[in-house]
Amino acid sequence: MLRITASGQDDPFRNDAWRYAEAFEAWLVSRPPALEAAARPVASYEKRVAVTSELMGVLSGEGWARYGWPAEVGGLGGDILHRAVMWEALARHGLPAMALFEHLEILAPTLVAMGDRDFVAQVLPRFLRGEERWSQGFSEPEAGSDLASARTRAIAVDGAHVITGRKIWTSWASYATWCLVLARTGTAESRHRGLTAFAVDLRAPGVEVRPIEQANGTDELAEVTFDQVAVGPDRIVGELNGGWRVAMHILAHERATFGWFRHSFLHRQVLDTIAHGSPVGDTLLGDALLDLAAVRATSHEALRAHAAGTTLGPRAAFVKLLLAASEQSVNDWVLASDPDLAVGLQDDHVAVCRQEYLFSRIVTVYGGSQQMQLDTIAKQILRLP
Amino acid sequence: MTPVTEQADHEFLDAARRALRAPAAASAADTAGAADPLDALGWWDLLPELADRDARAAALALFRAQGRELSTSAALGALMAQPFLAATGLSPGSLVAAIGRRSARRGEVLVVVGDVTEAALLIDRPGRGAAVLGRSEVELQPVAIAGQLAVHEVRADLSTWSPTVEEKQAEPARARGRFLGRLALALEMLGAAEGALALAVAHAAAREQFGRPIGSFQAVRHLLAWAQTDCVALESVVATAVRLDAATPPGHDEVVKALAGRNGRRICERALQVLGAIGFTREHSHHHFHSRVLALDSLLGTSTELTHALGARIRETHTDPAVRAAVLLPNPEP
Repeated sequence: MLRITASGQDDPFRNDAWRYAEAFEAWLVSRPPALEAAARPVASYEKRVAVTSELMGVLSGEGWARYGWPAEVGGLGGDILHRAVMWEALARHGLPAMALFEHLEILAPTLVAMGDRDFVAQVLPRFLRGEERWSQGFSEPEAGSDLASARTRAIAVDGAHVITGRKIWTSWASYATWCLVLARTGTAESRHRGLTAFAVDLRAPGVEVRPIEQANGTDELAEVTFDQVAVGPDRIVGELNGGWRVAMHILAHERATFGWFRHSFLHRQVLDTIAHGSPVGDTLLGDALLDLAAVRATSHEALRAHAAGTTLGPRAAFVKLLLAASEQSVNDWVLASDPDLAVGLQDDHVAVCRQEYLFSRIVTVYGGSQQMQLDTIAKQILRLP
Repeated sequence: MTPVTEQADHEFLDAARRALRAPAAASAADTAGAADPLDALGWWDLLPELADRDARAAALALFRAQGRELSTSAALGALMAQPFLAATGLSPGSLVAAIGRRSARRGEVLVVVGDVTEAALLIDRPGRGAAVLGRSEVELQPVAIAGQLAVHEVRADLSTWSPTVEEKQAEPARARGRFLGRLALALEMLGAAEGALALAVAHAAAREQFGRPIGSFQAVRHLLAWAQTDCVALESVVATAVRLDAATPPGHDEVVKALAGRNGRRICERALQVLGAIGFTREHSHHHFHSRVLALDSLLGTSTELTHALGARIRETHTDPAVRAAVLLPNPEP
């Protein structure tokens, strides 16, 4: 692989995602060992995070994972289309999932857009190399769909903030080193106007992460408690009391552009299951492929909008609904093709199929429930009374 | 969603809708009738230019407008006949393709859509080439269905088959014609489904029960939001296919057409539920939109057939039918 310096004026890929795609494809065809290690089903989340972190180390070292991120924060320039190309190609060449690095596409764009420049320049390269990992602390025991009622408090003390409270359903927190926490800096009644986003080091004193065992046998989710955890001013992401804007920026990615990244791995899941397919499931498979075509087209629009410096706004809800529908229809077919996941001996491949199938039954909950997405469309797009 | 359906496409769509509405208004005032809206739009001039992205998008936008306005023309057959013009020496509009479909009762039948009194018919028989038949050589029998759609079954004596275009030449023309025809049908189904949904959304805002508009009830709102989601998905997929044309993967026209039939039917069904009984009357327009979706879903492969065949093909070939990421990039190299 050609090693490109960040200052390289004649970088052939920075402004040309097409050439980047061709070169990355050629690299993948050479079957680099880090990809081989990650491109197999791994039931244990601990091992999965480990092999994917190793792969990120190689992808960053070779330069590939640094495209799509600004040079000021350790990237090699280019835009989200570079990242879209990279993850789609990785999926096509056998990587089964992004694991925790899905937060690179959910959280990191907001860190880059709204975080303290020096702080982001320190932490983003470590995230891209897989040395550090991020999670997102939004939901609380009493604040789910109604995020504006969050009660975790951040109190200003001597130029810093001290955070106390409890977050729940925090994806990948057990495997993360950082958490972007939405905390109340305004009055108890300030709702969405009194929230601030803080980058909190999960290794700091006063942080406790308790994994939640899930119904699908994994511990992707966790409960995170903060007991007087001090954070400096450079850890504020966005403005003080501007946390709602930060949250909406993140959700705009989680609901729209993330569809591209996630659905690429649903295509991978189809290809990994196809050997078990039987004619009985052909219509289910066809239906799933129609749903995937819809996610591909609509999430690609989201990518293009993002690359052009805009977002889909409320139309992100369409992509979120379509992604969840496709995840369920793909897994309807997987269950029909491979009932071992329901009742058979669980080797790693079967166990992963079971994890994915069961998880697909609840994808209509995270990132804003299906009902919230439908409400958004009814109100903001159809303008119903 | 506007980013993919470019501004120019929207402008042509609006222009096409206005043109399609004009003859109805004109003929009400003037019994001498009005000019053909396709002539007024310059639609026939677009046909030889389909390799050009903008011309293709404009030509195909007509079909979405036809669905939305419940108007009918011979454009579908003319579009499908376009790839045969060079081999037949005919000009755009003078040749209209008949479309084969399989009747469970009568086996293979041929249908034409729209007014074909001025045109010769292209009878295409896969494996045996294609023939041009004059209007005097065929008999047309009207099919009475709702949808304000002029459909005729074609009766022709094919026992003495003499192809005008030999199979070798007909094969690529057929594939191209079907590709274009499926995209056109998908857009017309989109337009018709949008028409049905617009009626339902307006009804939900106006109709009151329990002292408030029914559109304020979450159950009704969610039905309509799902229908809108199905519209957006279809619009995005078909607009992408129109833009990419030959850069789409093999069989992608079948994906587009299957999605249109599935989503189109689902949208009409949800709209009907919101409209309630009034939507199931002859006087209400819903059944025209719905029947048009059903009729068009039955041409060039039903969504059920195409969806099943897609699953079977992918299972057997172990391939991925997705549009390649690289071709979705702006200005990809060939």
